[in-house]
Amino acid sequence: MSVATTRLVFGLPVLLACGVLALPAAAQSAREARLADGHPDFSGTWENGSGIDFVQPQQKGASVCIFGCGGAPPPPETQGAGPTPSRPQYRPEFAARVADLAKRQVSEDPVLRCKAPGVPRIGPPDKIVQRPGEALFLYDDVSGNFFRIVPTDGRPHITDTEPSFLGDAVGRWEGDTLVVETVKFNTDTWLTDDGAFHTKDLRVVERLRRTGADTLEWSATVYDPTVLSAPWQVPPRAERATKVDMVEAAPCIEQSLSHMVDDTHHTNPR
Amino acid sequence: MGPKTFAAAVLALLAIGVGSAGAHHSVAGQFDNSRRAKITGTISKIDWINPHTYIYLDVKSDKGEVTTWRLESLPTAMLRKAGLTSEKLISGGATVTADALMARDGSAHLAWLLKLTYEDGHFFQLAGE
Repeated sequence: MSVATTRLVFGLPVLLACGVLALPAAAQSAREARLADGHPDFSGTWENGSGIDFVQPQQKGASVCIFGCGGAPPPPETQGAGPTPSRPQYRPEFAARVADLAKRQVSEDPVLRCKAPGVPRIGPPDKIVQRPGEALFLYDDVSGNFFRIVPTDGRPHITDTEPSFLGDAVGRWEGDTLVVETVKFNTDTWLTDDGAFHTKDLRVVERLRRTGADTLEWSATVYDPTVLSAPWQVPPRAERATKVDMVEAAPCIEQSLSHMVDDTHHTNPR
Repeated sequence: MGPKTFAAAVLALLAIGVGSAGAHHSVAGQFDNSRRAKITGTISKIDWINPHTYIYLDVKSDKGEVTTWRLESLPTAMLRKAGLTSEKLISGGATVTADALMARDGSAHLAWLLKLTYEDGHFFQLAGE
């Protein structure tokens, strides 16, 4: 070992420890965010952009303005209508049923009655807790708090369970992408807010991958060949790390729909 | 956060706030933008629930009779993001004036809350007027 090399080898830890040669934060984070088994660690709380990002309260002294504060309204794409503008395409024989359900959304949409939104309507997880062989997805939803347990240790789907709102999930790694396949859903959920029903054979494949030190990308593909004319590719959505942690959700107790006087659509973008 | 459904109520109130005639205005299906109320009283209770919070405003008549108005408002996550809590809204039982939209189905004393203005002048603007 040359003197120069010796200096480099022995000097580097000292310099790093002193912060003199700090690695770029992104490189450090990306490298450190791995589990003991070598797979990426997505643990953290994630803002996924589909909730209330567009709500930007203004404070002046003790006063607060949430909406109607003057100025231009937020652009449509930030009003909650996105980020999943695409819709599943149905076989022709089911188009009328979808249209009918959409028209009667106020009386038919399960989510408006505080039921769990299902997958993929619930969107990307708001918090992920991960360890080798398992990931836990947590959700903070207007309908309540929900969780999904995603084994990643190679086990198959559970066979002795009833169909459920969020189904039975099994994960696997494709390189650094976590692929989650979920089946065994009940039929009490919609894929979107406009009558997009599904059958018991619904299968959803979600993909999660890191796109930066503090960002993830979530996407999903929906398979239900009995009613869909083709698999529905849910547009990818970005998640970014947030320091605002989840809290216990307030109870969801619907009390307004009985006062609706018409079929006016009650938007729910999930 | 995921909630995601929070946008439901929001779109609704945005539509009212900006006068949109778009499809996304469930609040407009429940409350009448042309029938406004201005009510003064004290907040006696808050239902901190989703998908809409409810604020109960006790209004005393000249004869001393108390009528309780039920004011529907935003989901909890939006109030939380604005730093608003039940305690701040009740504000120690201070007298407050509510601007609101009356229910379209004729329900008495049910309204969509637009703004709360307190005696000392500070206010919470919750929806577009």
